[in-house]
Formats: sequence, structure tokens, C-alpha cells
Amino acid sequence: MSLADYTARNRVGLGVAGLALLVGLLAAVGFDLPLARLVTVGYLERTLQAATPIALAAVGGLYAEKSGVFNIGLEGFMIFGALLAAALAWIVAGGGDVSQTALWLGLLGTLVVCALLGVLFAVLTVRLQADQIVAGLAVWFVGLGFGPFTAIVVWGGVSSPSIANIDDVAVPVAADWPLVGRLFFDASPLLWIAVAVVVLAWVVLYRTRFGYWVQAAGENPEALDTAGVDVNRVRFVTVVFSAVMAGFGGAVLSIGFGSGFTGTGVTMVDGRGWIAIVAYLFGNYNPVGAALASLLFGAMEMLQIQFQTIGVPVPGSLTGLFPYAAVLVVLTLVGYTRMPAAVGDPYETED
Amino acid sequence: MSAADLGSLRTLLGRLADRMARATAVERIAIAVGSTVLALALGSVIVAATGYDPATFVGALVYGAVGSASNVAFTLRQSTMLILTGVAVAVAFRAGVFNIGVQGQFVVGGFAATLAILWAAPLLPAGTLGGVLLMFLGSVAAVIAGGAYAALPGLMKAYADANEVITTIMLNFIASGVVFFLIDGYLRPPGTSAPNTEPFPDYVGLPSLVFDSATFSVLGLLVGLLTVVVVAVVLTRTRFGYDLVTSGHQQRAAAFSGVDPKRTVVATMTLSGMVAGLAGALFAVMILGYYSDPNSFPTFGFDAIAVSLLAANNPIGVIPAGLLFGGLDAGRQYIGFTLDIPPELVEGVVGLIVLFVATPELFRMAGRYTGLGGDRE
Repeated sequence: MSLADYTARNRVGLGVAGLALLVGLLAAVGFDLPLARLVTVGYLERTLQAATPIALAAVGGLYAEKSGVFNIGLEGFMIFGALLAAALAWIVAGGGDVSQTALWLGLLGTLVVCALLGVLFAVLTVRLQADQIVAGLAVWFVGLGFGPFTAIVVWGGVSSPSIANIDDVAVPVAADWPLVGRLFFDASPLLWIAVAVVVLAWVVLYRTRFGYWVQAAGENPEALDTAGVDVNRVRFVTVVFSAVMAGFGGAVLSIGFGSGFTGTGVTMVDGRGWIAIVAYLFGNYNPVGAALASLLFGAMEMLQIQFQTIGVPVPGSLTGLFPYAAVLVVLTLVGYTRMPAAVGDPYETED
Repeated sequence: MSAADLGSLRTLLGRLADRMARATAVERIAIAVGSTVLALALGSVIVAATGYDPATFVGALVYGAVGSASNVAFTLRQSTMLILTGVAVAVAFRAGVFNIGVQGQFVVGGFAATLAILWAAPLLPAGTLGGVLLMFLGSVAAVIAGGAYAALPGLMKAYADANEVITTIMLNFIASGVVFFLIDGYLRPPGTSAPNTEPFPDYVGLPSLVFDSATFSVLGLLVGLLTVVVVAVVLTRTRFGYDLVTSGHQQRAAAFSGVDPKRTVVATMTLSGMVAGLAGALFAVMILGYYSDPNSFPTFGFDAIAVSLLAANNPIGVIPAGLLFGGLDAGRQYIGFTLDIPPELVEGVVGLIVLFVATPELFRMAGRYTGLGGDRE
């Protein structure tokens, strides 16, 4: 697709998005919705919290896809992350009241185990050249099965009992600043870590040699190979990174802002891994863009509570579908505009 | 080179191509069997590691699948659903389109069938004739609704370049949510608390015939097998099927020979969704006899992906694969009732089967190391 096509399409997309916003505003005025009461500090706070796990998984998935491996198993890795964090923290604490130390150890253990799972997935997709889409789906299925299974082994039920989550940390003085203070300086440290991850991911991708290797592995692996860099090794690293980040996102769900693991239905991850994929597509493979898109989806997700508090007569079972509907709109407007050229192709060296 | 030489060369090439095709078919069957055995072995290791007895596990799995007449009926019931949804998946995968939305199309199809049956029931005569008419009407509604719901991601892929894996998964969530909302809000009989519609009239249903089961009829299995035959004929004997399969294998070649790739994508998804919708109608009529919260339904549409992959996306291959997964599912439920081994384990095993099927290189490598026919390729 040429640059002209790209701008033309985006102009249409932006036009439609603007139109949708206008229609929404008109509807709000028409039905006399209390807009000011819709966007509150509490809403922004919940939006940030909802966006954090999506953004983490999105940054990981973005690295894998940039390097040429479409990790469609993010949802599965998130399920493993959510389960492992709760289970490891529970086991470390010996059951009962889970201490803060146990929670942090659980998080650390989750990252390590997810790295090992990522190594297995990388062996299959990079070394053994498994079909990336099918293998990713399989990771989802494995997560849906073994997640609740492990929960039963640990707790005797598909969900964990209520577990404490990681405490907020208040920065003295800064916590009293208006708005920003409550949003960022009296918040979960996981939120800070997520912001740091996003910024670091941006810097590494666009400002370091490794970042260029990642981009080259996805766009022109032959050139990278000629330059003497092992394409498959780069891909191996990014795939493991994506598994760790998705696991981190899952852990944020269960012990970061949640209160344990829920394994009923499609588990507590509930499609966020898939939304993370759309988030980095929407963010055009840019970590910062992906994080902003995650904020959008977080805001969608939390709209439900806002509607209920101000008494908008839309039932919760429908507002809960907003993020999914938003994904469809976003994908239709944005599409696959700048997918790395070599995504999905296993790379074989000539020797 | 003379014309005769050319002719004999062509037959030679033809025979070679046949051999190759057969070789890959054998290889695919070997991969399918290998994947299943490997996944079950890993499952048994996990059973042992978590302190249960793997022999009991495998024994219960087998007994639950084929141990008694009622277990066989249950296996066949699950297999029927998996064969239908599996064919739906296979049609799309064959054309290189990943329809992960079979579950959603199945939910929407069953819902459309329910609406049609409940709406038309007072208008038609009661009794067998009315029942047949209602079931026919329901199936038509389901096929249309399933096809339309699948055409949506097809259009989005063809004309907006939206990845169908993600759109179809989102549409799954939306289908379950909206259908639950409608049933809970509008179709629930007054005074009841469960999100169920009114039951169908009792003359709507399939007679059980061979097995004494309220939720399985051999007629349902026949519907599934017939659908497989129809789809296989469409894929191998019609122009549309030819276009569809060529676009799956060689998109550029297909476009070069005048196939409109965009239209093929939409048509493929629609056909796939029609089959999924029919599966939904069969689920509503044969198994439920009413309609309920889709979030509580079995995930036939997801397991169907495993069925189709195990069958290498071959419609006929879906039959044995569907029987295997139907048996696994029946065994899983039996384990859930009788042993204290969590039945969720079997779902994980299904995931492992898919993972191994996706990695044929694993078995080629194993073959090379063991020296068992690994020198192909």
C-alpha cells in the first residue's frame, strides 16, 4: 500500500471517528446526559487500572510481531500469568492472609515461569517453525484448560479465595497535588512499572541497536542475516519477552488490582489478550501508541460503572460489550496498515 | 521432444503428484495420531505429578467415551455437534481464512432457530407435520442468521483489511452478550428467574430411534454426516469450491485466473457461518428443547478448531476427528462425575493436541532421530 493510499484511508477513518464523536455528543445533549458527572477522578483512576494489563501485554506482543512472530497466544499467557501470580503468592504465604512480600514474590515467580513458557513457545514457533496462528490459539486453549485445572489443584475450585492485592504507594507531597496526585502519586507501584515499561520499550525499539535488529528481523530478515546477526535469536528473545509481559499483565489482573484468580467461563482475563493485540495495531506498533490505545479500551471497559452510577438506562450486560465493539470499529477503520513484511514467515539461514 | 514423449511425461508427473499427495496424507494422519498420543501422554504425566493415578484417568476417559450404551450415545451426541462445527471451521481454513467465530455463529444460529420456532409454533398445526415444518423453518432461520453473522467479519477482512482472527473472537463475545441480554430481558417467561426461553412444543424434536437418549438422535448424526458430504462435494466438485481452495493455497494464482479474492473471502465466511448456524439449530432442537444463556453453552465452536486442525482441514477427515474429540468430551464429563481428577485437564490436553498439530516439524525431527520414516521432505 502506497503512502497516498494510507493517508487517504486514514482520512476516511479519522472522518468516521470524528463523526462518531459528534453523534455521541449530540446524543448526550439530546438525551440530557450529565457528561460532567460521567468523567470523574474515580473514572480516570479506574481507566488507568484497566489499561495497565492491556498495555503490558500489548508492548510484549508488539515486540514479537515487530520481529516477525505474530504471538496470538497473548490471551493464553495472560491466563497463566493471572493464575500463577495468585497461586504462587498463596503458596509462598502458606495460605490464609497473603502478605505483601508474598505478593511480590508471587509476581517475580510468575515472570520467571512465564519466561520458561515463552521459551517453549519460542522453540515451537521459531526453531520448529510451527504455524504461528495455530500455535497461538493452542496456547489460549491450553491456558483455558490448565489455568482452571491448576486452580482446582491449588484451591479445590476453579477460582481462588479472595486474596489481598499489592498496596498503593503514596509519594509524600506529590500525592496532594490536584488530580495528578491522586491518579499517579497515590497509586499502585504496578502502574509506575507499566509506565516505565512503555517508555523503556519505546527507547529500546527506536533508539538502540537491539531495537533496530528487532525491526529488521520483521521487515527484512535477509539483510539482518547478511549483517551477521542471528535473526532467529532476535525473534527468540522477543517471543520470550512477549510471554513475560503478557504474564505480567495477567498478574496485574489477579494480584495487582483484583483480589485473586477467577477461572469460570473464559477466566478473568476475559478477552483482554485479544484486545491487547488490537491495541498495538491501533497504536501502529509504537509502544506509546499502544499504551494510549490501551487507555481507550480501559475507558470503554469502565464506562459500565459510570453509566450505572449516573443512572443511564443501558443494562450492564450491554455496556460490558463496549470494548469488544470498539475493537471491531478500530480494526475496521485502521486495519492492518503497516504490518511488518516478514510476519509469519519462519526464517531459515542459507547455510 | 515429441508429442508422445510429452504425453508420457505428463502421466509420469501425474502419477508422481498422486504419490506426493498420498504421502502427505499418510504423513498428516501420522502427525494427527502422534499429536493425540503425545498430548494424552503429557496429560497422564500431569495427572501423576498432581498426585492422581494416570491409569485410572485413562481408564475413566475410555470408559466414559465408549463404556456403556448411554456413554456411546453421549459421545455420538458431542461428536455430531463437533463434526458440524468442525466442518464449518474446515471450510474457512481450507480457503486460508481463520474463522474463530464459529462459536458466535453457532450461538446466533441457535437463537434465530429458537425465535423462528417460538414465533411460528402458534401459527402451525400441532403434531408431527407441524414439528417437521417448525424444525425446517428453524434450520432455515439458523442458516441465514449464522451466514449473515459470519459474512460480517468476512466483509471487514475483504474490504477493510481487518484481521479475521480478532474480529471473529470479538463477535463471539458480542453474540453471547447480546443473546443473553435479549433472552434475559425479553424472552424469559414471567415469574421465572433462570435466563431460559419458553420450551419448544413437545412435537418439536428428533426421535431417538437407536439409542434411548433424550438428547441424542441418530437423525442428528445423519444431518451432520450429510452436511459433511455436501461441503465435500461443494469443495471438490464445484467451481466455487475450486476457487475457494486455490485462494487458500495460492492466492496470487487464484487472482490471476480471475478469482475475485475479496468476494471469495466473504463467500467462504458466509458458507462457514451457515454450517455453524445449522449446528446451532441442531443444538437448540435436539439437545436443549429451548434456548438459554449462551455463556453456559459447551464451547463446540472452539473445540471445532481442534477438530478441523486434526483433520488437516479436510471435510471428510472431520468425521474421525469429531468422533475422537466427542469421545474425549464424553470421557471428560464422566471423569467430572466420578473421579476427583479435575475434568478441565482434558481441555488442556485438547489444547496440547492443537499445539502439536501446529508443529509438524516436531514429528519430522522425532522421525529423523528415531530413524522411523523421517527421511521425507
